[in-house]
Amino acid sequence: MSVEAPDTTEPARSREPSHGLDSAVRRETTSGRALASVVVALLVMLLCVYALLESTLQAIGQPAWIIDPESAARFVAGLPGGINAAILALLGIVVAIAGLIFVVLALRPGRAGRRFLPSRRIAVVLDDEVLASALARRARAAATVRPEQVTVVLSRREAIVNVRPTSGIPVRAEDVLAAVEDELRRLRPQPYPLLRVRVAGTGVIGA
Amino acid sequence: MNGTPRALNRILIFVFGILLLAVGVLLLLLAAVPAVGAWWASWAPAASLRAGDLFATTVFPGTRVSWLWALAMALLVVIILCMVWWMAHQGTGRQDLVAWSSPTAERGSPDEAPGRVAIAASAVDQAIRGALMPRKDLVGSSVAAVEFEGKIALRVRVVARQGADPRAIADDVEHLIGAMDLVFGHSCPVLLHVASGTRSRFSRAERVR
Repeated sequence: MSVEAPDTTEPARSREPSHGLDSAVRRETTSGRALASVVVALLVMLLCVYALLESTLQAIGQPAWIIDPESAARFVAGLPGGINAAILALLGIVVAIAGLIFVVLALRPGRAGRRFLPSRRIAVVLDDEVLASALARRARAAATVRPEQVTVVLSRREAIVNVRPTSGIPVRAEDVLAAVEDELRRLRPQPYPLLRVRVAGTGVIGA
Repeated sequence: MNGTPRALNRILIFVFGILLLAVGVLLLLLAAVPAVGAWWASWAPAASLRAGDLFATTVFPGTRVSWLWALAMALLVVIILCMVWWMAHQGTGRQDLVAWSSPTAERGSPDEAPGRVAIAASAVDQAIRGALMPRKDLVGSSVAAVEFEGKIALRVRVVARQGADPRAIADDVEHLIGAMDLVFGHSCPVLLHVASGTRSRFSRAERVR
């Protein structure tokens, strides 16, 4: 069973001492691309350093390390000759997939798995795991089961509470739903997840 | 909340990705489609020869080095420096000081001694750490001063135990920050990040409060 999100578009209540960090909160709840950037920068640097090395070796009249620029140009111009077609195709696929990964990384919205709580003086951002464990604690108390019998799966839009009752002691899904919903209403995380409670049909023995 | 140039990151990653994709697709087509191979053969060798001639005609007098080639090498060096600059800008913005006195106060007003007062970020870190120590639902905490949109902001990061009440933590930290505003006589924006780390995953859950 599930509960729709309550109307969170309530008019901006008088939040007088605002923290003034709205853009910081937006930044914190999305993830950047710092790692991919460093990888790209390193790759470009490696390529450039290698090109510099071969150019310098040629300029001072030393034998090339791997291939000198002129032979490289001749080889590229002579494609697809001079190399096994299967290897060339494989190389193309690998390079194209790597490129596609970077394009997707650049275009996809970064989700950090974090939400923010409405607050006044300070801006509050919390990891989804913290929210999930808070919800799990309430669900556990409402169902009176052990911690291992409750799991909460929190995605951007949904919070799914799975309860495995102790064998012989029925768990009312309505109670769990009401308790977890109450916790969500109290915390009011943004974005507000849609709540679902699932009580497993089979019980746990000896818990 | 740091100096990472996010828009620039995405643009450069996108450009690099598109280039890689283009090269990869070209290689694949060259290997697989004979028509593309014929098209390549129709202009690539000639272009390569023309480029070679261009380099040969632009040599420095008395040497074998083309100035066009030297220009290309200089460009490579510039690209490398740009990449180093770009990498150095990831995750910057940490500050040592939270607040400091204005230059006019440094020179000293008629009824005050000249001098400079600064509050170090580590002092705030120690104070908030100490104040949060008794809380049993936190595994650890740290405070960093970061520059954000031209202002110094505090970034408080606490690692919560499983089952901790985030609202209670937020209220407590909010209370602490209010007290700190009073003590320091200076109020700066504060962002609280309630995190969950490997330490909270492996430590005991918060049960009794």
